Amino acid sequence: MKKELIQLQHISKSFDGNMVLDDLNLTIHENSFVTLLGPSGCGKTTTLRIIGGFERPDEGKVIFDGQDITSLAPNKRQLNTVFQKYALFTHMDVAENIAFGLKIKNKPSNYIKDKIKYALKLVNLEGFEHRMPDSLSGGQQQRVAIARAIVNEPKVLLLDEPLGALDLKLRQDMQYELIRLKNELGITFIYVTHDQEEALTMSDHIVVMNQGYIQQEGSPEQIYNEPENAFVADFIGDSNILHATMVRDELVNILGTDFVCVDKGFGENNPVDVVIRPEDIELVPRGKGTLPGVVTNVIFKGVHYEMDVEAGGYEWLVHSTRLNEVGSEIDISVDPFNIQVMNKPESEDEKALSVEDA
Amino acid sequence: MKNMKPLEKIYFWVILAFMYLPIVTLIVLSFNKSKSRAHWGGFTFNWYIRLFSDSAILNALANTLIIALIATIAATIIGTVTCVALGGLNRRTRAFIMGITNIPMINADIVTGISLMLLFRILHFQSGFITVLIAHITFNIPYVMLSVMPRMKTISPSVYEAALDLGAKPWYAFRKTILPDLAPAIFSGALMAFTMSLDDFIITYFTKGSGFDTLSTKIYNEIKRGIQPEIYALSAIMFTLVLVLIFASNRMRTVQRKDSDLTEKQIKFRNIRNVVVVSAAGLGIIYLALLFGGVFTKNSNQVYVYNYGEYIDPEVIKMFQEETGIEVVYDEYETNEIMFAKIASDPSSYDVVCPSDYMVSRMINLDMVEPLDYEQLPNTLEHIGKQYFETMEAFDPGNQYAVPYFWGTVGILYNTNMVDDPVTSWDILWNPKYKGEILMQDSVRDAFMIPMIRNGFSINTVDPAEIEIATQDLIDQSPLVQAYVVDQVRDKMIGNEAALGVIYSGEALYCQWENPDLEYVVPDEGSLVWFDSWVITKNARNKENALKWIDFLSRPEIALMNFEFITYSVPNETAREMIEDEELRNSEIAFPGEEILNRCYSEEYLGEEGEKLYAEAWKKVKSAN
Repeated sequence: MKKELIQLQHISKSFDGNMVLDDLNLTIHENSFVTLLGPSGCGKTTTLRIIGGFERPDEGKVIFDGQDITSLAPNKRQLNTVFQKYALFTHMDVAENIAFGLKIKNKPSNYIKDKIKYALKLVNLEGFEHRMPDSLSGGQQQRVAIARAIVNEPKVLLLDEPLGALDLKLRQDMQYELIRLKNELGITFIYVTHDQEEALTMSDHIVVMNQGYIQQEGSPEQIYNEPENAFVADFIGDSNILHATMVRDELVNILGTDFVCVDKGFGENNPVDVVIRPEDIELVPRGKGTLPGVVTNVIFKGVHYEMDVEAGGYEWLVHSTRLNEVGSEIDISVDPFNIQVMNKPESEDEKALSVEDA
Repeated sequence: MKNMKPLEKIYFWVILAFMYLPIVTLIVLSFNKSKSRAHWGGFTFNWYIRLFSDSAILNALANTLIIALIATIAATIIGTVTCVALGGLNRRTRAFIMGITNIPMINADIVTGISLMLLFRILHFQSGFITVLIAHITFNIPYVMLSVMPRMKTISPSVYEAALDLGAKPWYAFRKTILPDLAPAIFSGALMAFTMSLDDFIITYFTKGSGFDTLSTKIYNEIKRGIQPEIYALSAIMFTLVLVLIFASNRMRTVQRKDSDLTEKQIKFRNIRNVVVVSAAGLGIIYLALLFGGVFTKNSNQVYVYNYGEYIDPEVIKMFQEETGIEVVYDEYETNEIMFAKIASDPSSYDVVCPSDYMVSRMINLDMVEPLDYEQLPNTLEHIGKQYFETMEAFDPGNQYAVPYFWGTVGILYNTNMVDDPVTSWDILWNPKYKGEILMQDSVRDAFMIPMIRNGFSINTVDPAEIEIATQDLIDQSPLVQAYVVDQVRDKMIGNEAALGVIYSGEALYCQWENPDLEYVVPDEGSLVWFDSWVITKNARNKENALKWIDFLSRPEIALMNFEFITYSVPNETAREMIEDEELRNSEIAFPGEEILNRCYSEEYLGEEGEKLYAEAWKKVKSAN
């Protein structure tokens, strides 16, 4: 087990009477790439700002490396932030931007020079020392912002949707860059995003948040394959989320048809939610599957076809590399391993966490 | 320019001419040797030289620059701090506060000026430098905020947070991140505030009080008395200065922001250009108005009259204009000295003026007045009492120059309920019995006249020994004096707030109407008699019309109108006969008999040395109090 670096203990925060975080507890381990993932307003940015020192929690403590830093000013914390809109100093050139933190710490000028060079090399911007931020592209600006943060050798780098303003191709490139950087620097990254793909690509550990609560924590695989509730399932990728009844262990009734599954311990004849990923559904010739259906719509997406299948009174979303024309009469078949059974929310609190706009 | 169509070109040049022709005219005239605005008399730097030797204007210029500079700095700091603070608020609160701060800017200057004046009065602020400065800071703040706030809104707070994040302390972070980003906006806000402060007139006018002038109020005073070419020179310098300032700032900004996007630069350029255009056009229009006003009025059938404030029934001016077709350009002054300074500096500025006795003698001595042609003054000869002309011989030997307008004596007004001794002598003002009940005139000559007469000296003495004695007398009297005042003698006596007061006969009459317990006496030792009379200036351009004016005022019915308006003693015997109120017609106060007149003396000009002696003596008296 890695060392625990940051602990958020019972953090609550509200703005103008609006509860943004409610009794949040989170542990971040050294050298991990942790992503706070959730829709806007879920509290992920506030959590990051509390770690960065830009907001003070109403209640709770922030422990950093064993020390309580809850009320420590941001300029005294051993971490640096990369802001969503880069927040470069527009009247300074790239080198001056990067040197800002080092100059405050009174580092010798040779050291600063080397650091600038090193940092620019790290973010692939060699020779950009004397360019003004205005003259750089969005991606380049973001690299400068990262360079400016990492030259201070922080133990933790906080990144607040740093790729949000970039176009798709650039964003994908930068994702790989960030992974590489993290591995080269060997420090902890805490990353905030609402983009589930970004989260899945980069993180060691994902924290899914909604309405001020942590919905689920885990590795990308766990989050994707075993969502603990309908919200997580829905938020992480396209999903078929259905009401179902657990007949008994390893057998679930979906839309009147019994499906074999691998989940146990949900009791007998209990209502549950079931999530089935669109790529986990197989379309097989009529009579060879579990549930009969008709293809109603097909869209070519490049990697796969996205098909709507009407079956058992529900419109299923199916991803497949094999095309079934509109009107094809087929059966739906699902590998028992790919049926994810989840508890229905029981308490009022849990209901609040459930799907908003599924 | 190159790709303009012919019509567009013409339009462009017409607009340009409209905007800049006035200023070109002004600059050209500032080098005109001739004082006339109508013709060119050769090239000269004379007006510039005179400008820089005119201490009053230079003083006003210094005031203007100091006020503008301090007000700009203060307003810029306050405005910027406010914007930064507002930047941290949510949008609704910010909009609300911006709305509130913008109102003073939209508000009419005159309203702002008057309200500030009232506030200063209520708070007992002494009007002057400080009140003007406060006023300027007040009206400049919204201009700074107007410039800084939009910029503030574009600055992401994360830039500041980024600096904190990199280890900067809050003030350092602000200085290194927000401030440089705001700098262009702060600069243009400051420039706007400076310009506003430089050319503000109305608010300054209402808050400055007396004795303090900025350039705009100084120029305004000048305009009242006829504009001087020095002012053209000054305006030309100011215009050039502003032009240079704006070009410099514009250039600086262009260089500084070479990397930024073009549109922002264009907008800024347009803003600055607008300021230039509007201010140039405004200046030009004002100037054109003055120019045309001057050119057209000077040449037609006019008379330039310069009189004491509120010293004529306005109806009389209208009647004169209607009857004669002569346009009256009528200006007012507050003291003989102001009038004298004006005529001395611009001898042809007025045709006919109304000085007091001692000033008439001074102007005669300096050859500033024109002998009168009595053939053209039939009404004057017929209706003005001969005895007045005799008395006036004291300051106008041979009655060559002056026609009396109003006159009066100085005496003691006393309350019959509060004074039981007979009031026949000035001595009663030294009677300890009336300690704290005596009001004296707050004026050198009027105050010193009393001990001079009491001691049997001439009221026009400049003998230091006699002045010394009179000074001591006044110092001895001072513990008994309730106050040295001017207009308040009237109000206090009417209100039974004092028993005895030194007062002008015209005021005494009014007091008696208001409070029948009051009596007016010209003491037996004698007193002062004063005459305000019309004279024609030496360089008058409309002498004929000036004579018509004087004779018109000597008509009995006109003199009567003015008497009823002013209530000072009128020297027009026929007019006096026409007074309907018998009591008033026979009033000893309004029309003292020959016997009283004979023991009264009129003031003469003391000469500069004499004036100085009196001023020093008066200071001693006032500080002894």
